[in-house]
Amino acid sequence: MNKKKGLGLLARQKAAGWAFLTPASLLIFVMSFYPMVQAFITSFQTGSSANLKWADPLIKNYARMLKDKVFLTSMGNTFLYLAIQVPIMLVLAILLAQLLNNKDLKLRGLFRTMIFLPCATALVSYALIFKTLFATEGLINSMLKGLGIIQENVNWLGQPTTAKAVIIIALLWRWTGYNMVFFLAGLQNIEYSVYEAANIDGASGWKTFWHITVPLLRPVIVMTGIMSINGTLQLFDESVNLTNGGPSNTTITMSHYIYNNSLGTGVANFGYASALAFVVFILVAILATINMKVGDTRD
Amino acid sequence: MKKLVTVLLALCLVIGCSAALADKLTVTAWDANFNGAALQAAADDYKANVDPDFELEINIVSGSSDVENDMTLAGSSGDISNLSDIVLFQDHFIQRYVADYPSLWVPMDDAGINWDDFGAEKLSYSTVDGVHYGVPVDNGTAIMAYRVDILEQCGYTIDDMKGITWDKFLEIGKEVYAKTGKALLSMDGSGNDLPYMMLQAEGESQFKDGKAVIAGNEKLTRIIKVITDMAKEKVLILANDWTGYTNETIMQDQVAGVLNGNWIIPTMNQVSDNAGKWQITSLPTLDGGEGYAANGGSSLYVTANCKNVELAKKFLAYTFGGSTGTYDNALRNGGVITCCISAGQSAVYSEGVPFFNGQAVYSDIVAMGANVPIVEQNDFHYTVRGYVGNAIVNIINGADIESELQQAQELIDFAMDV
Repeated sequence: MNKKKGLGLLARQKAAGWAFLTPASLLIFVMSFYPMVQAFITSFQTGSSANLKWADPLIKNYARMLKDKVFLTSMGNTFLYLAIQVPIMLVLAILLAQLLNNKDLKLRGLFRTMIFLPCATALVSYALIFKTLFATEGLINSMLKGLGIIQENVNWLGQPTTAKAVIIIALLWRWTGYNMVFFLAGLQNIEYSVYEAANIDGASGWKTFWHITVPLLRPVIVMTGIMSINGTLQLFDESVNLTNGGPSNTTITMSHYIYNNSLGTGVANFGYASALAFVVFILVAILATINMKVGDTRD
Repeated sequence: MKKLVTVLLALCLVIGCSAALADKLTVTAWDANFNGAALQAAADDYKANVDPDFELEINIVSGSSDVENDMTLAGSSGDISNLSDIVLFQDHFIQRYVADYPSLWVPMDDAGINWDDFGAEKLSYSTVDGVHYGVPVDNGTAIMAYRVDILEQCGYTIDDMKGITWDKFLEIGKEVYAKTGKALLSMDGSGNDLPYMMLQAEGESQFKDGKAVIAGNEKLTRIIKVITDMAKEKVLILANDWTGYTNETIMQDQVAGVLNGNWIIPTMNQVSDNAGKWQITSLPTLDGGEGYAANGGSSLYVTANCKNVELAKKFLAYTFGGSTGTYDNALRNGGVITCCISAGQSAVYSEGVPFFNGQAVYSDIVAMGANVPIVEQNDFHYTVRGYVGNAIVNIINGADIESELQQAQELIDFAMDV
C-alpha cells in the first residue's frame, strides 16, 4: 500500500514535470522546428515566391551556391570575422574577468558595469554610432588629424580593409563585456583555497592562470566559444547598418546576403535564400560539434 | 426572447459599423512630410468637394522598403488581410509584383482616369500588358541643379550648361573645383543612380529584351568612363551610402551641382544659406543635346484586400487623376510634384520659387517630364544598379574597366538566372 502510494507521488511529479515542459516545448516546435522543416522543403523549390515549384534537378539551389561568387565572398568575410574577432574577444574577456575578479580592486562593481554596458545597447544603434564615429568627417578622423597621426581624412568605411577592421572593432566593443560576465561567473566557482595552495607551492601568477584558471574555466570557454561562433556566423546587423555590405560587397556577411536574396532587393528568391540558410545551419552545427569534442572533459 | 434581442442588437451593430465604414479607406505610405502630406491633401479635397463623410486613414511606415516587404510577404503567404486598401510604393517594383502575385492587384482601367494627361514614361512602369494598375503620385523627373553664383565665378551661366556634353561638364567641374573646392556632382556610391539616369538621357536602357546588357555596351562603357574620370578629378564625390550622399555631400554644402529625381529638392532646401543661388536645367549628354531622365517616384495601387473598390477608384480618379486642388496642396505641404500634365499648369505650379532664384521650377519639371524617353525596365533594376555601382568603385580603385564590366555582367546574369 505504502509502496503504491510512493509510486503515485513519483508519477505525479513526473506528470508535473511534463506539464511544465509542454508549453515551452510546444512553442519551440511550432515557432522553431516547424519553420526549419518548412525552410528545408522550400530550399528544394524555385520560382515566384507565391507559386513555388520543385526545382529541377532537386538540388539546383545548392548547386547554384558553388558558382555564386557573392556567396563565396560573403562566406570568406564571415570566416575572416570569425577567425580574427572571436579569439581576440575571448582572450580579452578572460583577462578582463581575471582583473576584475581581484578582491582588492576598488570600484570593482563600477568597472564590471562599464565593461558590460555596451551589451545593453541595441545592435542597430551601436552600428549607427560606429558608422558616425568612422565617417569621413567623423570623430575618429578629427581626433587622429588633431594628434597629427593622419594628414587627410580617411574614408574608413569606403575601403575594403579598413571597413572590415571597423566591423571587427565594433564587434569587439559590443561583445567582450558580455563574454566577460560568463568568465566572471566561472571564476566565482573556483575555490579560493586552490589559488592559496598554488601560492604556497610557489607558482607564479602566469602559471596559476594557465594551470588552474584556464583548465577550470574550460566548460565556460567551450560555451562562450560556441555562442560566439554561432553569433558570428549569423552576423547581420553590423553588415547591414555599418557598411551595408560595401564597398562593392567586400564586407557582406552570409546572413546579409540571405536577406538580400529574400527581401532586400525585392527579388524574393525564397528557395535560394532557404538553401543558403541551411548551409549556414550546417556550418554552425559542424563548428559547434568540433568545439564540443575539443572541450569534452569526460575522457 | 433575450436571445433574439441580443441577435438584433448584434445585427444593428454590424449594420451600423458597415454604414460607418462605408466611406472609409486605408492607405499605407512612408513619409509623413512628403507622400503622407500629398495623401492628406487628396483626402481633404475629396471630403470637401465630393463626399463629406469620406475618411482616409493614412498609415505611415518608416521607409519605402517596409511597404515593399509587406507586399512580398503578403503575396508569398497568400494572407492579404493585413494590407491597406491602397498602398504606395516605388515604381520599379510593380512589374515583378504583378508577375509574381497577379491576384493581389485591382486593375484601374475603368476608374475613369484620363491617362493621356500623364507622362508616358511614368505610366510605362505601372502598365503591365496594356492594363493600368497604378495611379501616379509623385514625379521622378531628374533635375540637374547648379549653383549659379559659383558658375558665374568661373565665367558660366545656367544657359551655358544646357545641352552640354559630359566632357564639357568634366572640364567645367575641374575649374569649379580649382576655384571653390566644391565638386560639381555627388552620388551614393553603393547604390549608384548615375549610370541609369545618364543612359536614359541617351534614350537607352541597361536591359534589352529582358537581358542585362553591361559588358560590351558601348554607351554604358563611355558613361562609366566619364563617371570614373569625374571621380578621379574630384568633380564627382561618391559617398559611401545614401545618408553620406544626402547628409554630407548635399547638406554640408560640398557640391555646386545636384543631379537626381526632383524629390531631392527638399534635401537641397536644408541648406538655407544657399537659397536663391540654385537653378535647374536638363542633363548633359555624351554627344551634346539636352538629356531627360527620371529616377524614383511612386504610384498608388489598390490591393485585393480593398473592401470598397468602387470608392477607392472614385477617390483616386477624382484626386490624383487630375484635381488641381489635390496637387496644389500636395506641392505646398509636401513638395510632391505631379506627373499630371494639366495639373502642372496651375497657378501654384507657375509661381517662381525663391530658393531657385525665382525660376518656376515646378512647371519646368512637369514640362521636362513629358520629354523623358521610355526605356526598357526590368525587375532586376536594383540588382543591376548594385553591381554596376560596385564595378565603378572598383574601377576608381584601379581595376580595368572592361574586365570589371565583364565581371558585373556575369554576376548580374547569375542573379537573374533563377
